[in-house]
Amino acid sequence: MKNGFFGKIFGTGKESTRDIAKKRLQFALIYDKLEVSDEILEALQKDIVDVISKYFEIDKSSLKLDIERQDDLSALVLNTPILSAKRKFG
Amino acid sequence: MAGSEIKLSFISKQKRGADLKGKVIVITSGKGGVGKTTTTASLGAAIASLGKTVAVVDMDIGLRNLDVVMGLENRIVYNVVDLAHGRCQVKQAAIRDRRIEGLFLIPASQSDNKNALNTDDMARLTKKLREEFDYILIDCPAGIEQGFENSVTGADEAIVVCTPEVSAVRDADRIIGLLYARSITPKLIVNRIVPYMVVNGDMLSHKDVEDVLSVELIGLVEMDDRVIAATNTGSYIIDDKTSKAGQAYTRIAKRILGDLTVPIKEPIYDQKGLWGKITSKLGIKK
Repeated sequence: MKNGFFGKIFGTGKESTRDIAKKRLQFALIYDKLEVSDEILEALQKDIVDVISKYFEIDKSSLKLDIERQDDLSALVLNTPILSAKRKFG
Repeated sequence: MAGSEIKLSFISKQKRGADLKGKVIVITSGKGGVGKTTTTASLGAAIASLGKTVAVVDMDIGLRNLDVVMGLENRIVYNVVDLAHGRCQVKQAAIRDRRIEGLFLIPASQSDNKNALNTDDMARLTKKLREEFDYILIDCPAGIEQGFENSVTGADEAIVVCTPEVSAVRDADRIIGLLYARSITPKLIVNRIVPYMVVNGDMLSHKDVEDVLSVELIGLVEMDDRVIAATNTGSYIIDDKTSKAGQAYTRIAKRILGDLTVPIKEPIYDQKGLWGKITSKLGIKK
Protein backbone atom coordinates (compact mmCIF):
# COMPACT_ATOMS: atom_id res chain seq x y z
CA MET A 1 0.00 0.00 0.00
CA LYS A 2 2.78 2.39 0.93
CA ASN A 3 4.26 1.99 -2.49
CA GLY A 4 1.16 3.35 -4.15
CA PHE A 5 -0.11 6.65 -2.88
CA PHE A 6 2.63 7.75 -0.50
CA GLY A 7 5.30 6.26 -2.67
CA LYS A 8 4.24 8.44 -5.59
CA ILE A 9 3.92 11.60 -3.49
CA PHE A 10 7.01 11.37 -1.38
CA GLY A 11 9.05 9.37 -3.83
CA THR A 12 10.22 6.83 -1.29
CA GLY A 13 11.51 4.86 -4.28
CA LYS A 14 10.92 1.60 -2.50
CA GLU A 15 10.45 -1.27 -4.92
CA SER A 16 6.98 -2.80 -4.95
CA THR A 17 6.61 -6.48 -4.08
CA ARG A 18 5.28 -6.92 -7.59
CA ASP A 19 8.58 -5.75 -9.10
CA ILE A 20 10.56 -7.86 -6.66
CA ALA A 21 8.45 -10.91 -7.58
CA LYS A 22 9.08 -10.36 -11.26
CA LYS A 23 12.85 -10.01 -10.86
CA ARG A 24 13.09 -13.03 -8.59
CA LEU A 25 11.13 -15.10 -11.09
CA GLN A 26 13.28 -14.06 -13.99
CA PHE A 27 16.42 -15.09 -12.13
CA ALA A 28 14.89 -18.31 -10.81
CA LEU A 29 13.89 -19.39 -14.30
CA ILE A 30 17.37 -18.72 -15.67
CA TYR A 31 18.89 -20.79 -12.88
CA ASP A 32 16.34 -23.57 -13.37
CA LYS A 33 17.34 -23.82 -17.01
CA LEU A 34 21.04 -24.08 -16.15
CA GLU A 35 20.40 -27.12 -14.05
CA VAL A 36 21.64 -30.26 -15.75
CA SER A 37 20.32 -33.66 -14.81
CA ASP A 38 22.69 -36.41 -13.62
CA GLU A 39 21.72 -38.46 -16.61
CA ILE A 40 22.85 -35.76 -19.04
CA LEU A 41 26.01 -35.14 -17.04
CA GLU A 42 26.91 -38.83 -17.19
CA ALA A 43 26.30 -39.02 -20.92
CA LEU A 44 28.41 -35.90 -21.41
CA GLN A 45 31.22 -37.35 -19.31
CA LYS A 46 31.22 -40.52 -21.37
CA ASP A 47 31.43 -38.58 -24.62
CA ILE A 48 34.23 -36.38 -23.32
CA VAL A 49 36.19 -39.42 -22.15
CA ASP A 50 35.80 -40.99 -25.57
CA VAL A 51 37.07 -37.89 -27.34
CA ILE A 52 40.03 -37.33 -25.00
CA SER A 53 40.94 -41.02 -25.17
CA LYS A 54 41.49 -40.61 -28.88
CA TYR A 55 44.44 -38.34 -28.20
CA PHE A 56 45.63 -39.12 -24.67
CA GLU A 57 46.00 -42.04 -22.33
CA ILE A 58 43.91 -41.03 -19.36
CA ASP A 59 42.87 -42.59 -16.14
CA LYS A 60 39.16 -42.93 -16.85
CA SER A 61 38.21 -43.76 -13.30
CA SER A 62 39.64 -40.59 -11.78
CA LEU A 63 38.04 -38.24 -14.27
CA LYS A 64 35.73 -35.74 -12.69
CA LEU A 65 33.14 -33.54 -14.36
CA ASP A 66 31.34 -30.84 -12.45
CA ILE A 67 29.33 -27.73 -12.91
CA GLU A 68 30.58 -24.92 -10.74
CA ARG A 69 28.20 -22.11 -10.11
CA GLN A 70 28.92 -18.61 -9.05
CA ASP A 71 26.61 -15.65 -8.88
CA ASP A 72 27.22 -14.46 -12.38
CA LEU A 73 28.46 -17.49 -14.26
CA SER A 74 28.41 -21.25 -14.50
CA ALA A 75 31.46 -23.23 -15.56
CA LEU A 76 31.88 -26.78 -16.72
CA VAL A 77 34.99 -28.11 -15.00
CA LEU A 78 36.75 -31.26 -16.12
CA ASN A 79 39.63 -32.75 -14.15
CA THR A 80 41.66 -35.64 -15.43
CA PRO A 81 45.24 -36.78 -15.02
CA ILE A 82 46.86 -37.36 -18.42
CA LEU A 83 49.07 -40.44 -18.38
CA SER A 84 50.59 -39.92 -21.81
CA ALA A 85 49.88 -38.58 -25.25
CA LYS A 86 49.09 -41.05 -27.96
CA ARG A 87 51.63 -41.21 -30.77
CA LYS A 88 49.23 -42.28 -33.41
CA PHE A 89 45.87 -40.70 -33.65
CA GLY A 90 42.81 -42.93 -34.05
CA MET B 1 -30.09 -43.01 -17.03
CA ALA B 2 -32.85 -43.56 -19.56
CA GLY B 3 -31.98 -45.14 -22.88
CA SER B 4 -33.74 -42.45 -24.87
CA GLU B 5 -31.65 -39.79 -23.26
CA ILE B 6 -28.45 -41.38 -24.47
CA LYS B 7 -29.70 -41.75 -28.02
CA LEU B 8 -30.79 -38.14 -28.18
CA SER B 9 -27.45 -36.88 -27.07
CA PHE B 10 -25.55 -38.56 -29.85
CA ILE B 11 -27.61 -37.22 -32.75
CA SER B 12 -24.99 -34.60 -33.40
CA LYS B 13 -22.52 -37.32 -34.33
CA GLN B 14 -24.41 -38.11 -37.49
CA LYS B 15 -24.65 -34.43 -38.31
CA ARG B 16 -20.90 -34.05 -38.12
CA GLY B 17 -20.10 -36.80 -40.60
CA ALA B 18 -17.37 -39.37 -40.28
CA ASP B 19 -14.62 -37.28 -41.85
CA LEU B 20 -14.81 -34.50 -39.28
CA LYS B 21 -12.47 -35.09 -36.38
CA GLY B 22 -12.60 -33.44 -33.01
CA LYS B 23 -9.83 -31.38 -31.49
CA VAL B 24 -8.08 -32.41 -28.28
CA ILE B 25 -7.03 -29.60 -25.94
CA VAL B 26 -5.19 -30.30 -22.70
CA ILE B 27 -5.59 -27.88 -19.80
CA THR B 28 -2.55 -27.96 -17.58
CA SER B 29 -0.52 -25.89 -15.10
CA GLY B 30 2.15 -27.84 -13.26
CA LYS B 31 1.15 -26.42 -9.91
CA GLY B 32 -2.06 -27.56 -8.27
CA GLY B 33 -4.81 -25.28 -7.08
CA VAL B 34 -4.56 -22.61 -9.77
CA GLY B 35 -7.98 -23.31 -11.28
CA LYS B 36 -7.41 -26.00 -13.92
CA THR B 37 -10.55 -27.94 -13.07
CA THR B 38 -12.75 -24.84 -12.88
CA THR B 39 -11.26 -23.67 -16.17
CA THR B 40 -11.91 -27.03 -17.83
CA ALA B 41 -15.54 -27.11 -16.60
CA SER B 42 -16.18 -23.49 -17.56
CA LEU B 43 -14.61 -23.74 -21.01
CA GLY B 44 -16.40 -27.03 -21.67
CA ALA B 45 -19.72 -25.45 -20.72
CA ALA B 46 -18.99 -22.32 -22.74
CA ILE B 47 -17.93 -24.18 -25.89
CA ALA B 48 -20.99 -26.45 -25.68
CA SER B 49 -23.20 -23.37 -25.19
CA LEU B 50 -21.78 -22.06 -28.45
CA GLY B 51 -23.22 -25.10 -30.21
CA LYS B 52 -20.35 -27.62 -30.28
CA THR B 53 -20.26 -31.10 -28.80
CA VAL B 54 -17.70 -31.26 -26.02
CA ALA B 55 -16.29 -34.02 -23.85
CA VAL B 56 -14.41 -32.93 -20.75
CA VAL B 57 -12.15 -35.67 -19.46
CA ASP B 58 -10.91 -35.82 -15.87
CA MET B 59 -7.40 -37.27 -15.95
CA ASP B 60 -6.73 -36.79 -12.25
CA ILE B 61 -7.04 -40.49 -11.58
CA GLY B 62 -7.45 -41.30 -7.89
CA LEU B 63 -8.32 -37.69 -7.06
CA ARG B 64 -11.30 -36.94 -9.24
CA ASN B 65 -12.98 -33.55 -8.90
CA LEU B 66 -14.25 -32.38 -12.26
CA ASP B 67 -17.48 -34.29 -11.54
CA VAL B 68 -18.27 -32.35 -8.33
CA VAL B 69 -17.29 -29.04 -9.89
CA MET B 70 -19.79 -29.75 -12.68
CA GLY B 71 -22.45 -31.08 -10.31
CA LEU B 72 -22.49 -34.51 -11.98
CA GLU B 73 -21.02 -36.57 -9.14
CA ASN B 74 -24.21 -38.59 -8.60
CA ARG B 75 -24.37 -39.91 -12.12
CA ILE B 76 -21.06 -41.74 -12.46
CA VAL B 77 -21.28 -45.35 -13.62
CA TYR B 78 -18.18 -45.88 -15.75
CA ASN B 79 -14.97 -43.87 -15.77
CA VAL B 80 -12.05 -43.01 -18.02
CA VAL B 81 -10.05 -46.08 -16.96
CA ASP B 82 -13.00 -48.36 -17.83
CA LEU B 83 -13.28 -46.64 -21.19
CA ALA B 84 -9.56 -46.74 -21.96
CA HIS B 85 -9.40 -50.43 -21.08
CA GLY B 86 -12.40 -51.21 -23.25
CA ARG B 87 -14.71 -52.20 -20.40
CA CYS B 88 -17.42 -49.88 -21.72
CA GLN B 89 -18.43 -47.80 -24.72
CA VAL B 90 -17.97 -44.04 -25.08
CA LYS B 91 -21.75 -43.61 -24.74
CA GLN B 92 -21.68 -45.40 -21.40
CA ALA B 93 -18.75 -43.50 -19.91
CA ALA B 94 -19.76 -40.05 -21.16
CA ILE B 95 -22.23 -38.46 -18.73
CA ARG B 96 -24.54 -36.08 -20.54
CA ASP B 97 -25.06 -32.74 -18.87
CA ARG B 98 -28.82 -32.15 -18.87
CA ARG B 99 -28.43 -28.37 -18.55
CA ILE B 100 -26.23 -27.72 -21.57
CA GLU B 101 -26.87 -29.45 -24.88
CA GLY B 102 -23.79 -31.17 -26.22
CA LEU B 103 -21.75 -31.22 -23.01
CA PHE B 104 -20.42 -34.53 -21.66
CA LEU B 105 -18.18 -35.53 -18.78
CA ILE B 106 -15.89 -38.53 -18.72
CA PRO B 107 -15.02 -38.83 -15.02
CA ALA B 108 -11.77 -40.08 -13.53
CA SER B 109 -11.58 -43.30 -11.61
CA GLN B 110 -11.36 -42.77 -7.86
CA SER B 111 -9.95 -46.16 -6.91
CA ASP B 112 -7.08 -46.59 -9.37
CA ASN B 113 -3.77 -44.77 -9.22
CA LYS B 114 -2.12 -42.57 -11.82
CA ASN B 115 -0.32 -45.50 -13.39
CA ALA B 116 -3.58 -47.25 -14.26
CA LEU B 117 -3.23 -45.78 -17.76
CA ASN B 118 -0.27 -45.43 -20.10
CA THR B 119 0.36 -43.32 -23.16
CA ASP B 120 -0.73 -46.10 -25.53
CA ASP B 121 -4.11 -46.28 -23.75
CA MET B 122 -4.40 -42.51 -24.11
CA ALA B 123 -3.53 -42.49 -27.80
CA ARG B 124 -6.30 -45.01 -28.41
CA LEU B 125 -8.75 -43.15 -26.17
CA THR B 126 -8.26 -39.74 -27.78
CA LYS B 127 -8.61 -41.32 -31.21
CA LYS B 128 -11.95 -42.79 -30.17
CA LEU B 129 -13.18 -39.52 -28.64
CA ARG B 130 -12.26 -37.52 -31.75
CA GLU B 131 -14.83 -39.54 -33.67
CA GLU B 132 -17.61 -38.57 -31.28
CA PHE B 133 -17.04 -34.97 -30.21
CA ASP B 134 -16.04 -31.62 -31.73
CA TYR B 135 -13.85 -30.73 -28.76
CA ILE B 136 -12.20 -32.87 -26.13
CA LEU B 137 -10.90 -30.96 -23.11
CA ILE B 138 -8.45 -32.88 -20.96
CA ASP B 139 -8.21 -31.81 -17.31
CA CYS B 140 -4.58 -32.62 -16.52
CA PRO B 141 -3.52 -33.45 -12.95
CA ALA B 142 -0.92 -31.32 -11.19
CA GLY B 143 2.67 -32.46 -11.45
CA ILE B 144 4.88 -33.69 -14.28
CA GLU B 145 4.60 -37.43 -13.77
CA GLN B 146 2.60 -40.15 -15.54
CA GLY B 147 -0.67 -38.25 -15.26
CA PHE B 148 0.84 -35.35 -17.17
CA GLU B 149 2.39 -37.64 -19.78
CA ASN B 150 -0.96 -39.33 -20.32
CA SER B 151 -2.86 -36.05 -20.52
CA VAL B 152 -0.64 -34.55 -23.22
CA THR B 153 -0.61 -37.70 -25.33
CA GLY B 154 -2.84 -37.13 -28.29
CA ALA B 155 -3.36 -33.44 -27.52
CA ASP B 156 -3.42 -31.04 -30.46
CA GLU B 157 -3.29 -27.93 -28.34
CA ALA B 158 -2.56 -26.95 -24.77
CA ILE B 159 -3.79 -24.23 -22.46
CA VAL B 160 -1.60 -23.42 -19.47
CA VAL B 161 -3.42 -21.93 -16.47
CA CYS B 162 -1.34 -19.75 -14.20
CA THR B 163 -2.08 -17.44 -11.28
CA PRO B 164 0.00 -14.29 -10.67
CA GLU B 165 2.16 -15.93 -8.00
CA VAL B 166 5.84 -16.81 -8.19
CA SER B 167 5.29 -20.51 -7.51
CA ALA B 168 2.58 -20.87 -10.16
CA VAL B 169 4.61 -18.96 -12.75
CA ARG B 170 7.73 -21.02 -12.16
CA ASP B 171 5.80 -24.28 -12.52
CA ALA B 172 4.04 -22.94 -15.61
CA ASP B 173 7.45 -22.25 -17.15
CA ARG B 174 8.50 -25.85 -16.55
CA ILE B 175 5.26 -27.16 -18.07
CA ILE B 176 5.62 -24.88 -21.08
CA GLY B 177 9.11 -26.30 -21.66
CA LEU B 178 7.77 -29.86 -21.50
CA LEU B 179 4.98 -28.98 -23.94
CA TYR B 180 7.43 -27.43 -26.41
CA ALA B 181 9.50 -30.61 -26.18
CA ARG B 182 6.39 -32.42 -27.45
CA SER B 183 5.94 -29.90 -30.28
CA ILE B 184 2.88 -28.33 -28.66
CA THR B 185 2.79 -24.53 -28.52
CA PRO B 186 0.69 -23.68 -25.47
CA LYS B 187 -1.50 -20.66 -24.86
CA LEU B 188 -1.78 -18.95 -21.52
CA ILE B 189 -4.67 -18.09 -19.20
CA VAL B 190 -3.76 -15.86 -16.28
CA ASN B 191 -6.31 -16.69 -13.60
CA ARG B 192 -7.38 -14.96 -10.38
CA ILE B 193 -6.05 -11.52 -11.17
CA VAL B 194 -6.86 -8.99 -8.42
CA PRO B 195 -6.77 -5.64 -10.26
CA TYR B 196 -6.45 -3.39 -7.20
CA MET B 197 -3.49 -5.39 -5.93
CA VAL B 198 -1.81 -5.09 -9.32
CA VAL B 199 -2.40 -1.31 -9.29
CA ASN B 200 -0.96 -1.08 -5.77
CA GLY B 201 2.12 -3.01 -6.79
CA ASP B 202 1.27 -5.98 -4.61
CA MET B 203 0.61 -8.53 -7.34
CA LEU B 204 2.23 -9.52 -10.63
CA SER B 205 0.25 -8.14 -13.56
CA HIS B 206 -0.72 -10.33 -16.50
CA LYS B 207 1.93 -8.44 -18.49
CA ASP B 208 4.57 -9.44 -15.96
CA VAL B 209 3.48 -13.08 -16.21
CA GLU B 210 3.42 -12.87 -20.01
CA ASP B 211 6.92 -11.27 -20.04
CA VAL B 212 8.41 -13.93 -17.81
CA LEU B 213 6.83 -16.87 -19.64
CA SER B 214 6.94 -15.40 -23.17
CA VAL B 215 3.97 -17.36 -24.41
CA GLU B 216 0.85 -16.28 -26.26
CA LEU B 217 -2.10 -15.20 -24.14
CA ILE B 218 -5.60 -16.57 -24.77
CA GLY B 219 -7.42 -15.05 -21.81
CA LEU B 220 -7.40 -13.21 -18.50
CA VAL B 221 -9.69 -14.16 -15.65
CA GLU B 222 -10.25 -11.88 -12.71
CA MET B 223 -10.50 -13.14 -9.15
CA ASP B 224 -14.24 -13.59 -8.72
CA ASP B 225 -16.03 -14.72 -5.54
CA ARG B 226 -18.88 -16.01 -7.65
CA VAL B 227 -16.67 -18.79 -9.00
CA ILE B 228 -16.53 -20.26 -5.51
CA ALA B 229 -20.29 -19.86 -5.11
CA ALA B 230 -20.90 -21.59 -8.45
CA THR B 231 -18.60 -24.45 -7.47
CA ASN B 232 -20.43 -24.82 -4.15
CA THR B 233 -23.63 -25.63 -6.01
CA GLY B 234 -22.12 -27.48 -8.96
CA SER B 235 -23.31 -24.86 -11.44
CA TYR B 236 -21.42 -23.10 -14.19
CA ILE B 237 -19.92 -19.65 -13.79
CA ILE B 238 -20.60 -18.96 -17.48
CA ASP B 239 -24.34 -19.11 -16.71
CA ASP B 240 -23.89 -16.21 -14.29
CA LYS B 241 -24.04 -13.69 -17.09
CA THR B 242 -22.93 -10.70 -15.02
CA SER B 243 -19.93 -12.41 -13.46
CA LYS B 244 -16.59 -11.17 -14.74
CA ALA B 245 -14.99 -14.61 -14.64
CA GLY B 246 -17.96 -16.12 -16.50
CA GLN B 247 -17.72 -13.49 -19.22
CA ALA B 248 -13.98 -14.05 -19.46
CA TYR B 249 -14.43 -17.81 -19.94
CA THR B 250 -17.04 -17.24 -22.65
CA ARG B 251 -14.61 -14.94 -24.48
CA ILE B 252 -11.86 -17.57 -24.19
CA ALA B 253 -14.25 -20.22 -25.57
CA LYS B 254 -14.95 -18.02 -28.60
CA ARG B 255 -11.23 -17.58 -29.18
CA ILE B 256 -10.74 -21.35 -28.94
CA LEU B 257 -13.41 -21.75 -31.63
CA GLY B 258 -11.28 -19.51 -33.82
CA ASP B 259 -12.90 -16.10 -33.40
CA LEU B 260 -9.81 -14.02 -32.71
CA THR B 261 -11.78 -10.78 -33.05
CA VAL B 262 -13.00 -11.38 -29.49
CA PRO B 263 -10.78 -9.15 -27.34
CA ILE B 264 -8.76 -10.30 -24.35
CA LYS B 265 -10.18 -7.87 -21.81
CA GLU B 266 -7.78 -6.66 -19.17
CA PRO B 267 -9.27 -6.70 -15.68
CA ILE B 268 -9.55 -3.08 -14.56
CA TYR B 269 -9.65 -1.68 -11.07
CA ASP B 270 -12.86 0.33 -10.76
CA GLN B 271 -11.89 3.67 -9.33
CA LYS B 272 -15.00 4.57 -7.36
CA GLY B 273 -15.96 8.18 -6.71
CA LEU B 274 -14.44 11.53 -7.53
CA TRP B 275 -11.24 11.12 -5.57
CA GLY B 276 -10.58 7.80 -7.25
CA LYS B 277 -11.04 9.36 -10.65
CA ILE B 278 -8.78 12.30 -9.85
CA THR B 279 -5.98 10.18 -8.47
CA SER B 280 -6.35 7.79 -11.37
CA LYS B 281 -6.04 10.69 -13.88
CA LEU B 282 -2.98 11.98 -12.04
CA GLY B 283 -1.49 8.54 -12.09
CA ILE B 284 -1.52 8.35 -8.30
CA LYS B 285 -3.40 5.14 -7.95
CA LYS B 286 -4.34 4.59 -4.35
